[in-house]
Amino acid sequence: MAEVKVKKETNVSEAAEVESRIKELCQQFPQGITDQVIQNDMPHLEPQQRAMAINKLLSLGQLDLLRNSSGLLYRLKDTQSVSKMKGSDNQEKLVYQIIEDAGNKGIWSRDIRFKSNLPLTEINKILKNLESKKLIKAVKSVAASKKKVYMLYNLQPDRSVTGGAWYSDQDFESEFVEVLNQQCFKFLQSKAEAARDSKQSPMVQRNSSFATSHEVWKYICELGISKVDLSMDDIETILNTLIYDGKVEMTVIAAKEGTVGSVDGQMKLYRGVNAIIQPTGLVKTPCGLCPVFDDCHEGGEISPSSCIYMTEWLDF
Amino acid sequence: MTVQEVRLCGLLLQEHFGEVVEKVGTLMLKNGAQNLRTILHETGMSVDLVKKSLCVLVQHGACLFISGRKGPGSPTEYRASCDQILRILRYPRYIYTAKTLYGDTGELIIEELLQRGHMTMSSTVKKVADRLTQNMEEGRSMDYSEVSSAFSSLVETHFLQRCPQLGGAAMKEGTAPADAVTPAAPAAPASTAPPTAESFSDCYKVPQVTLIGRGKRQLASEDGEDQRNAKRPRMDSEVHGDEGIYWQVNFERFHLHFRDQAIITAVANKLDQTSSEIVRTMLRMSEVTTSPSATCTKPLSANEIFRSLPAGYNISRPILDQYLTLLVDDPMEFVGKAGESGGGMYVVNMHKALTNLARATLESVVQERFGSRSARIFRLLLRKRHLEQKQVEDFAMIPAKEAKDMLYTLLSQNLVQLQEVPKTPDYAPSRTFYLYTVNQLSTARMLLQNCYKTVANLMERRLFETKDSKRLLEKSQRIEAILASLQASGAEPEQLTEVEEMITAPEKQQLDALRLHINKLDSAENQVDETIFLLESYINSTATSAS
Amino acid sequence: MAGRGRGVGAFTFNIEALGIGRGSMPEARVGPSPLFPSTDFKPVPLKASEDEDYMLALKQEMRGTMQRLPHNIKLQSNKSEVERYTERYLKQSQTEDEEWTPDWKLFPRELMPKKKQSRAKTAGTKKKTVKIACKDAADVLTKLDELAKKDNEKSDDETEKKKTGEEDGEDEVEAEDFEEEDIEEDNDYIESYFDNGEDFAADSDDNMDGEATY
Repeated sequence: MAEVKVKKETNVSEAAEVESRIKELCQQFPQGITDQVIQNDMPHLEPQQRAMAINKLLSLGQLDLLRNSSGLLYRLKDTQSVSKMKGSDNQEKLVYQIIEDAGNKGIWSRDIRFKSNLPLTEINKILKNLESKKLIKAVKSVAASKKKVYMLYNLQPDRSVTGGAWYSDQDFESEFVEVLNQQCFKFLQSKAEAARDSKQSPMVQRNSSFATSHEVWKYICELGISKVDLSMDDIETILNTLIYDGKVEMTVIAAKEGTVGSVDGQMKLYRGVNAIIQPTGLVKTPCGLCPVFDDCHEGGEISPSSCIYMTEWLDF
Repeated sequence: MTVQEVRLCGLLLQEHFGEVVEKVGTLMLKNGAQNLRTILHETGMSVDLVKKSLCVLVQHGACLFISGRKGPGSPTEYRASCDQILRILRYPRYIYTAKTLYGDTGELIIEELLQRGHMTMSSTVKKVADRLTQNMEEGRSMDYSEVSSAFSSLVETHFLQRCPQLGGAAMKEGTAPADAVTPAAPAAPASTAPPTAESFSDCYKVPQVTLIGRGKRQLASEDGEDQRNAKRPRMDSEVHGDEGIYWQVNFERFHLHFRDQAIITAVANKLDQTSSEIVRTMLRMSEVTTSPSATCTKPLSANEIFRSLPAGYNISRPILDQYLTLLVDDPMEFVGKAGESGGGMYVVNMHKALTNLARATLESVVQERFGSRSARIFRLLLRKRHLEQKQVEDFAMIPAKEAKDMLYTLLSQNLVQLQEVPKTPDYAPSRTFYLYTVNQLSTARMLLQNCYKTVANLMERRLFETKDSKRLLEKSQRIEAILASLQASGAEPEQLTEVEEMITAPEKQQLDALRLHINKLDSAENQVDETIFLLESYINSTATSAS
Repeated sequence: MAGRGRGVGAFTFNIEALGIGRGSMPEARVGPSPLFPSTDFKPVPLKASEDEDYMLALKQEMRGTMQRLPHNIKLQSNKSEVERYTERYLKQSQTEDEEWTPDWKLFPRELMPKKKQSRAKTAGTKKKTVKIACKDAADVLTKLDELAKKDNEKSDDETEKKKTGEEDGEDEVEAEDFEEEDIEEDNDYIESYFDNGEDFAADSDDNMDGEATY
């Protein structure tokens, strides 16, 4: 019996050491540590002891338990939130955990209710509390205007929530898109001009007037006009609108794997183009733009003789 | 014949041939082929006026006649030609083109023929020589041979053609005209379709004419006497050997020229000057070998093209090859590659070019009328053919509410159409795709009608403005006449000033404003006709296209 | 097809399914819409170049010329008096011949004019009076007016004389003085042409003396 006692006592002091060692390891590896890591570090540690230390830390709320594809992961809990959470009851902790698990995609309050099995009024109270403690925040989701998702306070919301680079607080940033559209076009235009002025052979001129989406992306990034990070895909979306504006043309060419800017062995090339006609004759007349064209006929209230658009146009 | 076409034709007839001809012409346009009695009955006009009107219309090719269509003894039927009448809008362009190609002489030849419908070569030459002489220095005159030579050039290049011999009437067998100078046309059984000029093998054959002399200057004189004397020479009955052979302007040939011009300009805009010169060369080489309705030119080898480039163009053969390759690579596909022999065989894709030009025209209309973002949606739909609302928003990067508004507006103006594609057999709205789409051809047809209406509107407004200021205009004309006569009779400057001052300053201002208005309206008509030409050419090309 | 013009057209499809519910239509108009609503966009300026200017001049000249040619048939057989003055005193009458003769070989016979009619017409045209509307400078105008009258009568006589002198055997169709020359067609044909309105077409077909062909 004495043996056991001694063992226990040893274990208690040892346990404290193990616990702090585990915490140290967690600090060393903020992304989380596995049982293996702990074992490697303290090879003499019995699995039982290890388990006990971990459980102790978990129940104290100092350690997080996560699961990934290869097994269990232990992570140090955020001390700030740990201290903040000190006054929280278990229900709050539970809700917090659920929200944390949702990562940067966030979670609807309804789903929180579903996962926690707590009544709605409770949930709302808890959410308000956590928000006021600045532990969590609500983010408007672009997918459904009335709904909000909750996520941890200092997380960057995922694109699917915010709508990507083009949405700010759920508002489509038309002006921003417009500015990017113009800047991309200017870049391509000047590239085309430079090619023309180079007086090289026509083939060389044509080829040098092209820019890859990567080049355009780089230019835009360097301009520094965007608050958010823009991906090459984002830039291609903008370039496509220029195609639909009739200002830009795109060609796809085969590219060697590994060429900068190539995707799946292909590269998209863009260049500025000119319109093939001047504005057509019809739109040089008031009738060509007239909002009441269909109602106009000689002898009617709206007629060529009485038309004020004509009058305005004639006197211009 | 649409309402808009009839309205516009009516206005054109009225403007150039008067109310009487307009009434007869409009009746025929609305009711199709009619015989003389019906026309008399429907218009309620005197026989004499109706007959004269029909003569005028036939003279100008605006009306064709067929006799015996319903069997022997049945009355002659008259049918107005809407297309022919609409061409009046384009007369200034035909004349100007003739000027650029064949100088003042060519210009006047075309102008005279357009004014008079059809004439013999000899009368045309004489008239034009007289007119040119009028503008030359004292003592100088224009030789008939120079004018004849210009005339022949116009015939050789098919800008002029002989009139279909019998004004569109079907031929009866065995009734070859006894005194015809031209060889008889193939004796086909009476057909109901009027023969075109080109169905006669000699339609581009210049007759042997004896035409020796020079243009006569009309003497300026104070009273009518000398004027009448000057008229005398024209009343002579000299025979030149081409009696009965009448010539008319070949509109279709001019249209081919305009089409080629449009293509060359498009290439110059999209690519560069040199590329457009290459295309010009290719089109020039193909003028006689390509039929007017062909989709593309016959294949030309790079070698041939190189040899045919204009003298001033010093590009090397490899560089030419580069230009040709770039033309072929261009997404607009102005030029296509048809083979490898001769250094590469190339064609100009006329129908494709017309389609692109028509598309650019439609886009231009949407852009100017509804703005850039609506134009973006329009172009998007042209490219992607069918899209749902959400897709439109995403591709065009236009927020939902605005995209919705724009689509709704375009839809209500029939520029965009909506197609329902059911996902399930029950057509339930929630399980149906609503796809937006643009149909280029039907949109082009619609816009063409809008163009006709627009020109008619411009004309009506011009008539209104003139009518509104009629008294003032007449006053001004009267004053001019008085001034002219006073000057001619050597009046004192004070007398002249006194007369000039009969027009008050505000009246003068009004007249100036009126002049500006009229010019603007006229110029606008010319420019809308450019749109009409492109759309008509495109629409006609789709009728003959293999696709 | 979708409705056109102002207001909500009748759509053949269910627009609610598009998400265009009542509430999200473009702003409902309050009260009757203005006849000419304000527009966001103005017409593009017309092309202005030498080419365009020249074609404008061609157009206007062509219009003027064609209105003076005999092809232009007016209900009243005189041109307005102002145009006469313009012609005589601005020396613009140049090349406009007062007559036009179609080559009947190219025209259906039935369109050939009739003798009887024209006589009455000629009588009518001579009676035209020249009115003076403008009160200013009345003296000058009266003087000119008298001159004009004299000239008119003179020219009418002249023209008629000239015509009777013609022997080319072709008809002359005049816009103003629709006179007819003595022609080879026999009177019987003409009589029946008018008297028997029912068969005039048949007659003209029968009477093929080689002059006009179809």
